[in-house]
Amino acid sequence: MTEILPESRIIIHLSVMASIWLTSLVVLPVALLTAITFLRKKKTQQKGQPDWSIPTLDNHADRNSFFHNWNPAAKVASLLLYCFLIVSLKTFACSVTALVISLFAVYFSKLPWLPSLQRLAAMSGFLIMFLLVIPFSSREQPGETLLIFPLLSRFPFHLNGFFLALTIVIKACAIALLMEPMLGTSSLSATLQGFTRIGVPVPIIQMILLTHRYIFVFHQEMVRMQRSMKVRGYTARTDVLTMKTMGNFFGMLFISSYDRTQKVYEAMLCRGYKGIFPTFHTREISGKDLAKGGIWIMIGLVLLLIERLPSAP
Amino acid sequence: MHLSSSDYHLNGPAVADLLFAIEGLSFVYPDGNQALTDIALSISKGDRIALVGKNGSGKSTLVKHLNGLLPLQSGSLRYREKKTGPSIQSVLRQEIGILFQDPENHLFCNTIFENVAFGPMNQGRSRDEVEELVRGCLETVGLSHLMYKPAHLLSYGQKKRAALASILVMKPEVLILDEPTANLDPKQERILKELLAGFPGTLIIIDHDLLFLYDICERAVVLADGRIHHDYSIRELVSSQNSLKEHGLDFTFRFACCGGQHKPAPTSPHQHYHFSHDHGKNGAHAPAVPEAPILELQHFNYQYPDGTIGISDINLIVYPGETLAVVGENGAGKSTLAACLLGLNHGEGYFFSKGKKMDCRLHRALWRQVGMVFQNTADQLFCPSCWEEVAFGPQQMKLPAIEIKERVAEALHSVQLTGYEHRIPLHLSGGERKRLAIAAALSMHPEILLLDEPTASLDPKSQELLLKILEKLDMTKIIITHDMFFIRNLSKRTIVMHQGRIIRDYPTPAFLADKHIQASNGLDYTYKNTCLEEIMDLQRNHTAAAG
Repeated sequence: MTEILPESRIIIHLSVMASIWLTSLVVLPVALLTAITFLRKKKTQQKGQPDWSIPTLDNHADRNSFFHNWNPAAKVASLLLYCFLIVSLKTFACSVTALVISLFAVYFSKLPWLPSLQRLAAMSGFLIMFLLVIPFSSREQPGETLLIFPLLSRFPFHLNGFFLALTIVIKACAIALLMEPMLGTSSLSATLQGFTRIGVPVPIIQMILLTHRYIFVFHQEMVRMQRSMKVRGYTARTDVLTMKTMGNFFGMLFISSYDRTQKVYEAMLCRGYKGIFPTFHTREISGKDLAKGGIWIMIGLVLLLIERLPSAP
Repeated sequence: MHLSSSDYHLNGPAVADLLFAIEGLSFVYPDGNQALTDIALSISKGDRIALVGKNGSGKSTLVKHLNGLLPLQSGSLRYREKKTGPSIQSVLRQEIGILFQDPENHLFCNTIFENVAFGPMNQGRSRDEVEELVRGCLETVGLSHLMYKPAHLLSYGQKKRAALASILVMKPEVLILDEPTANLDPKQERILKELLAGFPGTLIIIDHDLLFLYDICERAVVLADGRIHHDYSIRELVSSQNSLKEHGLDFTFRFACCGGQHKPAPTSPHQHYHFSHDHGKNGAHAPAVPEAPILELQHFNYQYPDGTIGISDINLIVYPGETLAVVGENGAGKSTLAACLLGLNHGEGYFFSKGKKMDCRLHRALWRQVGMVFQNTADQLFCPSCWEEVAFGPQQMKLPAIEIKERVAEALHSVQLTGYEHRIPLHLSGGERKRLAIAAALSMHPEILLLDEPTASLDPKSQELLLKILEKLDMTKIIITHDMFFIRNLSKRTIVMHQGRIIRDYPTPAFLADKHIQASNGLDYTYKNTCLEEIMDLQRNHTAAAG
């Protein structure tokens, strides 16, 4: 049933519509997760345990593509600027165009799709919350369509709010997809060096480098400790013993990490560390690199201009 | 004999050759622990020193002074006649390389190439020079094919060699190694030994493995309670059993009951289906008793989630009460097999427990049947007191409080740790921690005890005690080890693994006599046996001379 109120709002009491929206909200992430599971199974050909290992960011940095042959500093600078331009988009159509461009970027970077999809899956919980919360909480606007769910008449579903949330989600996906071509097509140290050349403080870069290296060691230590607990019959429950065990577990991880920090620092000092990580890979920015950067910024600007230009009468 | 000053160079080294001159060096840690007291030591160019002593005797503290990692509190330390201090700190760090025990600490950059290039880049060398040095060094340690791999994808032995390359590439004058052989298989140990043999500079090695040190070092400095107790040739150290005993370094217990099995077996190797029988009085075999196996794997495979094959087509029978040794090079699949037997890895194939085919329910209950002592006790011990550590398993089994108390007391007693109930596991020595880990497994009354490299990083005294404890344990034991002595003394049956498969399953004497399998699988223990025989001769001569 549709009614037009004096404030020129359209209220639709459509339980079927509500079901469609809800179903689409549920189906989308489920489809995404199914695709990831399928790709993972195909990759590992393993019937047993899932692969919970931490993926290496620059595993495919030795390939050859438009992004691989791009100077990391120029690549990071221009793609970051492009990302800011994408964030500034407001219309649904331009955001979808940006998403399509990002999909093409992943395709042309010759990187596997799995890490990109995993990245999206990791964000999905947060993004779904946007889709669920914003439509119910956005401000009423004249002329907008409200959907009234059965039993939820106090909380109308704002269609404008929904499209706003969808635009945000699509922009987030477009940017997340670009992360793989930006960060996964050069070695991590080269990429981080690129960041230092655009002004990111060196200590932050060094911390990222060390974190990236030792997150694998930390993960392995954690897995080994969990296994040793498991062989002594540990199962997580909702009791005091479990809480105490978890406290001991995290405490021991903290102690071993602190201990390792000291030892790594000593090992660095022994090899002449004086506060700066020496960089071996340096590559000068060529005209071609600048041209590539210019293309990306132009694309971003064009998208922005299209939506900002006054529409035809 | 206690010495407070160096007597190795009694005639005094030539001044031009003198690298370190240490006088009256003492050091106290902020917590009040007196780590070094009145150390006097001189180290000359080309010296090959074994720095030995019990855990906590001050070895690591001493070497950290040598390259300026720890500040000088009292006494004097001169390097090439110059007082150490901030002014020559950079010289010290460029000329003195330290390889710490855990290679992970050395590999802090993203790829192996970057790790090895870190030192020479800090030395201010040109890029071309660094590249040439790095490639050459990685070639020397046999890792040039892994140059651009991240460190976490390397095996332990490869990490150790990569860490060594990152030190050697700086062309140090002095090379200091802390427990270089810990957790290495004989093949990796031999590679390391060859690399060290070719090192032209001064060498200082901290290790408990006197057989390894005997072959490389010429001089032995023995530390005890932060003081230098002996400073003489390594031949003198190993030939004096009293001196070895005094410092917990007596490894001659390894000679005591080997029955001459380091020599080829007098009879030809033979094989039986059942190994738990004894020899009859006339030397003939008693009839084998068919017994239901406690565990059995048939055509069992396990593949890691990343596609790496862990174990392949494993056929294994474990009988109640037997002690089984599992040997193989690093990466042969020994630990993966252990994880499968524990139910941690779910593979494909047939898995029987006491004749019953393993299903989900039995898999979940495997932890009650199999106790595990991991290679690195740091992975196993996480409770704030020894009592809680040992009680953890029984608590998970939901046993009554009285029974938990009884089991903890019994388990601690069986590993000779009674009275340690309130001690903090983190503060125990390596040997004590290992025994505590065994107690933690024993308190659950498992039918099978699985031990992964039980002797790794233990001093000889702790090894001897561990051997006695394991001999007394009346249960099925599966021991993953590279230690031939433990294999010989504890197991009647040995299985050899290679590339994820069991390639031999035979009686231990047959394995000990099988030089071919040892050599072809990187399990070459012959050089250690040669050292053993040489040392035995030295000790006999020393005893005869003293008598």
